Amino acid sequence: MIIERLLIFILFLTGFIALIGMKNIIKKIVGLNLLNASIVLLFILEAGRSGESAPILDDNIQNIVDPIPQALMLTAIVIGVCVTALSLAMAVRLYKTTGSLDINIIKERIESEN
Amino acid sequence: MKKLQIFKISLSVLLVGLIILPIILCSQSWPTEARDYLFTNAYSETGASNTVSSIYLGYRLMDTLGETLVLLVAITGTMSILINLHNQTIEKIETTLTLTPEKRPKNALRTHLVEVVASKLGPIILLFGFYVMLYGHISPGGGFQGGVIVASAIVFLALATDVKTPIVNSKVLSRIEALAFTSLAIVAIYVAIFTQGIFHNLLNQEQNVSANIIILLNIIIGLKVGTSIAVMCIAMMGGRHDN
Repeated sequence: MIIERLLIFILFLTGFIALIGMKNIIKKIVGLNLLNASIVLLFILEAGRSGESAPILDDNIQNIVDPIPQALMLTAIVIGVCVTALSLAMAVRLYKTTGSLDINIIKERIESEN
Repeated sequence: MKKLQIFKISLSVLLVGLIILPIILCSQSWPTEARDYLFTNAYSETGASNTVSSIYLGYRLMDTLGETLVLLVAITGTMSILINLHNQTIEKIETTLTLTPEKRPKNALRTHLVEVVASKLGPIILLFGFYVMLYGHISPGGGFQGGVIVASAIVFLALATDVKTPIVNSKVLSRIEALAFTSLAIVAIYVAIFTQGIFHNLLNQEQNVSANIIILLNIIIGLKVGTSIAVMCIAMMGGRHDN
């Protein structure tokens, strides 16, 4: 149990490092996706311990897992897709305007224009 | 300068790790009250044997309405950014997803393979998406999952440029999306006026509860999600299918 949690922790930190440490905007967006994925995995892992069978009610089914985290993560995944699409569109816009995806070069070029 | 940045990044990673590690390692046992309530009552109250569906289309439908609003805002932002971008470029570049036939022998990376496979697989995936959408109340699946599969099918059909079908047209897709959102709003308002509250289970006036409203909302949400994501993908692939 501790191994899975440590892996999720490493995934979270990887996403966070990519988000704040990388210079390339696309890598930052990938980091945002990794953060989202690690949180989704954490919820599914935690809820998966509460039962054994899938939460689809049938005649001879017992001991289902808690379906509430699954429903919440369904929402979180769709919101993650929205965030990714919007940030990618902004990255395309920045690239077309400044000609670069590196945040330092973008900052230089915007400052030199003003 | 460089060392200072590395120091800053490692310090913030350390702080975030210290904050997030107790949350991840916390071994509190999962509360089971909600699970037991849903296990005994979900089928008789909503009529759907898939309890995930009965949560997001039955008990917490207001959340789903808010989520479709978030999706609408995201697609509006994406499309407005990308459409202004296409207007800014003065020389109109004809971007196609596949090469013209006379250029194909020179470019070995783009062959007929993508078009053939995508145009053959697209309709099958579309059918599977609608199956997942329509059977979401009794089996794993539902509106969101089916909608995403439908979106991938539409992207496949858009990649197969030889297929001339109106389903890859951005205008048609946006109209389907607007129709789905309007019908969701109409269902909400109708139910709020004529029954006990917003999204009360309106088709279940009798004693025996059926999953009709869950199926209806699965179709609406599946169309909404599928067309939204497909429109965004087609706009990012170059917006060739605008006309």
